[in-house]
Amino acid sequence: MAAISDLDRVSSIVLRFMRAPILVLLATYTVGISGMALMPGQVTETGTTNMNLFHAFYFFTYTATTTGFGEIPVPFSEAQRLWATICLYFGVIAWLYAIGSMIKLAQHPELLTAIAERRFARRVQSISESFFIICGFGDTGSLLARGLSENYCAAVVIDSDTERIKALNMRDYRVKMAGLCADSSVPKHLLEAGVKRSNCAALVALTSSEDTNLKIAVMARSLNPSVQIICRSTNQHNREHLETLGGVGIVDPYEIFSRQLRTAIRMPMLYTWEEWLVGVPDIYLEQPVCPPHGKWILCGYGRMGSALYERFAERKIPTMIVDPDNQPADPDLPLVVGRAGISTLKAAGISDSAGVVAGTDSDEGNLGILLAARRLNPDAFLVVRQNRHENELAFTGADANLIMQPSLITARRILLMLTAPLMLNLREYLRYEGQHRVRETVDKTRMISNGERHHLWTERLGGATCAVSWLRSRGMRPTLGNAMGCPTDRSRKLSVLPLVLKRAEILIMLPGEEIELLADDEILFCGTEAAHRHFTTNLNNSYTLHYLHLGEDEPRGLIAKWLLRATQ
Amino acid sequence: MNLEKVIFGFFIVLALTLNVAFVVGEIANSGHHSLWMLFAALLVSLFTTGLKIGDRSQIGAIFLSTSLVANLQLILAITYWAVGEGGMDLPPSQDRMVTIISLASGALVANVVSVLMLVTDTLMSRR
Repeated sequence: MAAISDLDRVSSIVLRFMRAPILVLLATYTVGISGMALMPGQVTETGTTNMNLFHAFYFFTYTATTTGFGEIPVPFSEAQRLWATICLYFGVIAWLYAIGSMIKLAQHPELLTAIAERRFARRVQSISESFFIICGFGDTGSLLARGLSENYCAAVVIDSDTERIKALNMRDYRVKMAGLCADSSVPKHLLEAGVKRSNCAALVALTSSEDTNLKIAVMARSLNPSVQIICRSTNQHNREHLETLGGVGIVDPYEIFSRQLRTAIRMPMLYTWEEWLVGVPDIYLEQPVCPPHGKWILCGYGRMGSALYERFAERKIPTMIVDPDNQPADPDLPLVVGRAGISTLKAAGISDSAGVVAGTDSDEGNLGILLAARRLNPDAFLVVRQNRHENELAFTGADANLIMQPSLITARRILLMLTAPLMLNLREYLRYEGQHRVRETVDKTRMISNGERHHLWTERLGGATCAVSWLRSRGMRPTLGNAMGCPTDRSRKLSVLPLVLKRAEILIMLPGEEIELLADDEILFCGTEAAHRHFTTNLNNSYTLHYLHLGEDEPRGLIAKWLLRATQ
Repeated sequence: MNLEKVIFGFFIVLALTLNVAFVVGEIANSGHHSLWMLFAALLVSLFTTGLKIGDRSQIGAIFLSTSLVANLQLILAITYWAVGEGGMDLPPSQDRMVTIISLASGALVANVVSVLMLVTDTLMSRR
């Protein structure tokens, strides 16, 4: 439907623009050709010869376009030459006018957007695998697109900034991502992005404005009641509104970070393991990040400060807040009023505090707090918030123990929700189970990793077409351990670790190797890239899986099968 | 060691060697090319096709198609021999012999591809 209305728009703009030049050309040609045919030509013995209409048209065509072959087929009379001169001037002027209009049309902004929208809609229609819609291609959007491309997931992008879409087209993604420059809260553009298509797996609203994100979520929900929607929102009011829509995943980087930091204080191993798995650079399983127990000073009581305060208070971690605004609504708040600096940090008791969080929304302010805190307490654990990606160099040079980037946290969380949602369940499980289980899992990961980087992926045993269902339909029962065998030697194992197995609605955490595989299982794994490739082959090649399961090759040809059956 | 692999490899390589045995020699000289050799090459090629039927894997499909190509070329070659003047009783004329050997050489290429695939497949599995 969208494509037809766009086609109408394109043709109507072209017609509106080209109507006058076409009429002018037509009139010039008519007058010129008829005049040429009527002008008396050279006098021969048979009388005056006139040009016929075809010759007149031929002559006018090459004259008006300034080609000028000369006087064809016979030399002209003086009268014809006079008319030819007039033809030349008017014909050339008419053509210049027409060409000028065409060039103007080609630069017409409305036509260009109409064409861009049609091309975008067509590219979306040609996507056959499942894809994601990313609304907003800022810091977070581009990080998310990069992550999706590393996982070979297709996505389409809408952003209202032309420069961002140009930047998107310059990226070297593994999967081509279509981009459209448009306001993504307009339903028409969401339709063009394919929100109603059956292979649209999720829509992610990541624009810089909270209200736009809300609007996008509302529009998308009413267009497609079943699509998964993920929305960045740090605003309590909007969040309530989003929750009523149903099926909307809300991502609040401050909330996520508060929980992460709390986990890091309570279970540093779990925190380090999670961060290592999602590919955070400069983090090693051998050296867990250990924020200390003790009193924490929170500089800034905005979205981040309040989230941290609440999470810390739940676990009885003592805090002290430094903020320029007095909070009359909450008189019990442990607050030092004033801008965070040497005097206020001293007043908050920095000398005996374990950690400081510089969490205001100003990057230079946060760096200042960092310097002051480091001078007052060299042993404190310093967490700093980096708001803008472009300030990266200043922050990596600074002496912070942990840098918190809202855009990175948002992008990583959304990537996890889209490509490995079971990880979130596992995290809850491990947090509940406690240190012992965490240590066990981390040790297992370390044992198979060999110092190589791991990544997370979700393996969906593709129903009836996969090797597991083939083997099962022939009475065999391959186990998870079979599928994890090395395809060249079944006594060795691939470097993969199954984390969660999802069977219908049941979740099996850290499944053992003896568990039988069913055709519709969904399994979250971590492992090296090479192991991932081998593992996928094991699951797709029934001969390999047969060998891994039984230790012998399945006969391939019909004759060999028949012989085998006859000899048994 | 897998008995199926032994038989499979044996016939694939035999199809190639018989094909070579028929094709070598001067192309137009009917004294250099034996009809019996062509007949044997065709029979082994047909039998190899039989062995390849039933494999569900990708490489199995390509194996089968190369085999079908070899069969087609060899059948064309032997038919062309049979329908010539004098049939199979007399050696074919020079022109006819050239065409027959060209067709058999095509089959030879298909057989070479088949053997190459057999070798790569075996090396890849590393068992």
